[in-house]
Amino acid sequence: MLRVPPGAETGRYRAFATRCQPLTVETGLPFLGTISFMPVCLQAEKLEKRYGAVTAVDGLSLSINEGEVFGLLGPNGAGKSTTLYMLCGLVAPTAGSVSLFGRDLHEHFIELMGRVGVLTERPAFYNHLSVRRNLQLLAMLGDKDVNIDRALDRVGLIKYAGRHVGTLSHGMRQRLGIAQALLAEPELLILDEPTAGLDPESTQEILRLLRFLADEAKVTILFSSHQLAEVEALCDRVGVINQGKLVSCEEVENLLSYDQSQVDVLVDSPEAASKKLSEQAWVKSAEMNKGRVRVVLDGGTVHQLTAFLVSGGYKLSGVMPRQRTLQEYFLKVLNR
Amino acid sequence: MIGRIATAYQIELIKAFRSKLSYVGPILAILLVLMTPLLHPLRGDGENAYRFIAFATPTALNVLGLFLVLSFCASLISGETGTGSIRLVFTRPILRHEFVIAKLLIGFTYAITVSLLVAITAWAIAFAFGSASGVEFGGEMLFTSGAMLRAYLLGFALHLAPQFAFVSYAVMISSFMKSNAASVITSIGIWLLLDAVKYPLGISPMLFATYVDTPWEIFRAQADGLTLEWGDKVYWCLGTSLVAATIFSIAAIVTIHRRNFHG
Repeated sequence: MLRVPPGAETGRYRAFATRCQPLTVETGLPFLGTISFMPVCLQAEKLEKRYGAVTAVDGLSLSINEGEVFGLLGPNGAGKSTTLYMLCGLVAPTAGSVSLFGRDLHEHFIELMGRVGVLTERPAFYNHLSVRRNLQLLAMLGDKDVNIDRALDRVGLIKYAGRHVGTLSHGMRQRLGIAQALLAEPELLILDEPTAGLDPESTQEILRLLRFLADEAKVTILFSSHQLAEVEALCDRVGVINQGKLVSCEEVENLLSYDQSQVDVLVDSPEAASKKLSEQAWVKSAEMNKGRVRVVLDGGTVHQLTAFLVSGGYKLSGVMPRQRTLQEYFLKVLNR
Repeated sequence: MIGRIATAYQIELIKAFRSKLSYVGPILAILLVLMTPLLHPLRGDGENAYRFIAFATPTALNVLGLFLVLSFCASLISGETGTGSIRLVFTRPILRHEFVIAKLLIGFTYAITVSLLVAITAWAIAFAFGSASGVEFGGEMLFTSGAMLRAYLLGFALHLAPQFAFVSYAVMISSFMKSNAASVITSIGIWLLLDAVKYPLGISPMLFATYVDTPWEIFRAQADGLTLEWGDKVYWCLGTSLVAATIFSIAAIVTIHRRNFHG
């Protein structure tokens, strides 16, 4: 669980000014009353990218609400980065459209990119300039006043502000990349593997920061990652891309719910219990797993299972329905 | 748009000032001019001083200067594409053609800077060891110092046209490449190749590089005590340079506009 340290209202966790507010609609109906919802921040319609005979992205449609954190998963070469780069104008789509904040990206590029922070894979800077100078030059291309020190402090690089970028480690460059994405306090963040190359402590810090920004300033975050644990911890929704197509899109809360058909049982004689259970028609499988019995029910219920074990004379220490994991969902979606 | 181009140009200036490599070219050009008296010794009279300037300036600019300009400009875009820093720029509120225009401007600034340093150095040497009087022959003043200065300034202004064509050409090559080395080698290589075959192929009148010496002809003639009028060559110089600069600049802009910048 990502928790922001105490006293987080100052320093690196000082939130951006909250810009987006929920839309409210008065329905006039007694049972509905007032409905409030967050407007759509990012909308991609039937995006395609073809390189000759190769289709990198194939008819991808995606909609992300303001204030939402959306994770994009997929195997290597699935089209995650290509999708992200089409959404921020680095790659031109072969077909389809991209809208940010309700406006077409290509028609209103200047206005929209002032509200978006982007982190590309392996961000590159001007090695002969200092960290601070690099951010100053990038900030000049926007029309907002920015606080360079605050951006560096947010990612823990304030004491390296005077160092040449060429002397930074890979992890520090990655953090600098995040700092430049946060520079103009954007309303939308598009991040390509934001924690790549970071040590575990820095990874947690960055994820905590992103979650804080999403919760407090309602920053919309779209990011791609190979790290399922990060996506689980940070995201509201997750989409899986495979071979250029968005094959699935689910709320993380639903994906991580408890599966009542899969139960871990702690008994005094797990081997005997698993053997007995395997013979039951209402049990699909019952296997030993690190001292406990992992039972997959086939029509049976947890109540039926506990009753069977108790009546069989087994001493029951615990019955735990298994929580689904993102990895299971991911592999299932990819049919692996 | 003008504001964003100005800002991008300002960024290019800051980067160039803070890069040690930017100073190599101008220093080399000054050194070449400083060594020119070895080839063209100076005496204490005005005629000799202006002949020195007429020799030193085109030698430095058209021999070494063009290589320096090509090397600098050919790495302006390819360097950023190769390292990936261009992706950071293009996720900012700036349009791609504004970025390319800023690159053209910094390239032209570099060319002008090298030219100015060569000119100042040549004139400083000429008048330190020569004479500031005009060009005389048999006691008669043929061209005053003012007339010589005017002729030089006119030649300097005219030579900026082929300079800008070279800048645009190098930036265009840079927009095609992802490697500085490949970009520099390609731009110099194509130039040398065309220079070698332009006369056999009969294309020399249409190449702006044919006219790099044309802007200095009047000044050189006056330094020799001769009067020369501008002929058709100056119009060919201006025309081919401006057409080439336009075509190369548009090609660079279109290339960058259509390119996809992946990881």
